[in-house]
Amino acid sequence: MSEIWEEIINISKRSELLRQMVGREVKSRYKQSILGYFWVILNPLAQMLVMSFAFSLILKIPTNASPNIPYAIFLYVALLPWNLFASSLSSACNSLVSASALITKVYFPRTILIISSIFAKIIDFIFASTILIGYMLILKIPVNLNILWIIPIFIIQQIFTLGLALFFSAANLLYRDIQYLLGLVLFLWMYLTPVIYPADLVPQNFRYLFQLNPMAVIINAYRQTLLGGGQPNFLSLLTALIVSFLTLYLGFLYFKSKERVFADNI
Amino acid sequence: MPTHTIVFENVTKKFQLQNHKTFKELLPAILQGKSAYQPFTALNNISFSVEQGTALGIIGSNGSGKSTILKLIAKVMTPTSGQITVDGTVSPLIELGAGFHPELSGKENIYLNASILGLTRKDIDANYDQIIHFSELGQFIDQPIKHYSSGMYMRLAFSIAIHVNPSILLIDEILTVGDLSFQAKCYAKMEEYKRKGVTIVFVTHDLNLVRDFCHQVIYMRNSEISFQGEPVLACQKYQNDQNPL
Repeated sequence: MSEIWEEIINISKRSELLRQMVGREVKSRYKQSILGYFWVILNPLAQMLVMSFAFSLILKIPTNASPNIPYAIFLYVALLPWNLFASSLSSACNSLVSASALITKVYFPRTILIISSIFAKIIDFIFASTILIGYMLILKIPVNLNILWIIPIFIIQQIFTLGLALFFSAANLLYRDIQYLLGLVLFLWMYLTPVIYPADLVPQNFRYLFQLNPMAVIINAYRQTLLGGGQPNFLSLLTALIVSFLTLYLGFLYFKSKERVFADNI
Repeated sequence: MPTHTIVFENVTKKFQLQNHKTFKELLPAILQGKSAYQPFTALNNISFSVEQGTALGIIGSNGSGKSTILKLIAKVMTPTSGQITVDGTVSPLIELGAGFHPELSGKENIYLNASILGLTRKDIDANYDQIIHFSELGQFIDQPIKHYSSGMYMRLAFSIAIHVNPSILLIDEILTVGDLSFQAKCYAKMEEYKRKGVTIVFVTHDLNLVRDFCHQVIYMRNSEISFQGEPVLACQKYQNDQNPL
């Protein structure tokens, strides 16, 4: 555990570096494009429209627990955090490899590369969420104080993401297969998580498996608090929190055990 | 008693060269009982120490382990065995323009690169004007650096690196950048650092520069220290080994 504190102190000493790396990621992405940062909003919006067409109009997936909510919103509430999760992981997975010139030349806490790539995705997520907020206002979807639950839910999601990102980035530095493997895993994982369908469609005897998938719990909790106006399932959320912390701890240990040889192997 | 800022004790660095970058290559190798790794010794049990304020030159032919020493001092790599003590802030001039992004402006890159080299925002703000002045970029500073010529690019990078105010400066074959007048400016800056008592570790093939500039020279040969001491003697020994006539 002391290693984790040490890392946190080292990172906080280099807060300017962290800020600059996030800025670099955000500023450079849409340079020399006409719509620029608007792509961050346009992408998930288009994705949502097409998926709504396929899953609601054609496959007629019900929204069950929230019957008065149009499917488009039902989907978007889950799709945005899922996209954040998936894009954070893919971007963090490559963050060490794409910074190889830095890793072999300058010393700084390597975890900054992972954290900054996740922060950049969080900024995208905030921009993309404006559409959702606007949509919810237009449709006058009632919200109450339970909406504040999204803050701890979001934090649990980031703990889980960071843990996996540390593992995948270090593994990808040693074996480049990992990035392709991750793409496959994320694709399957999305269908095993109630993003496009409501959680209560899952058969009873599979439910316990969903409890062990923090993303299923997190996605479901966003829906419960944002659209249902209710409280999340605390037992599930606590399980997700424990699994997330465990993932972070193991991911960090793996990262640290490989960090010594990053510059030799990249 | 002079203080030693850099101490290497019995340092060995072995690389485990990975023969296989993908599972597809790794699996057959394991099945055939071959090792997935091939060891390579870059430094073999070397020891030396550098006093504060010394300008140390490291010479030797390619692949003799010179750059590995710099990377160990910069803490980018860790030794396989042995002890390394480095006391002070290290500015690695190993890589100029670390993290530069071509789409960002010169100004944005100054902040980015300087923070990678370890400066805080306050330090960068305080040095900002000097960096631009030294780089002679003037009005181009708000342009994306992809439009810079390679000379302008290196000038900006060098100018940031020397404003880090390190107590240990690592230099790896970089002073071939820019035109003659800029090179002269760089040497002047290095002399200034030397006078201020900054420890300088300098890897180069330019023996004239080594004789003029360094207090002490390490001559590396086959991953070991072949000679350490007077620059003139070290250069002589190196030249004798190169042309054994």
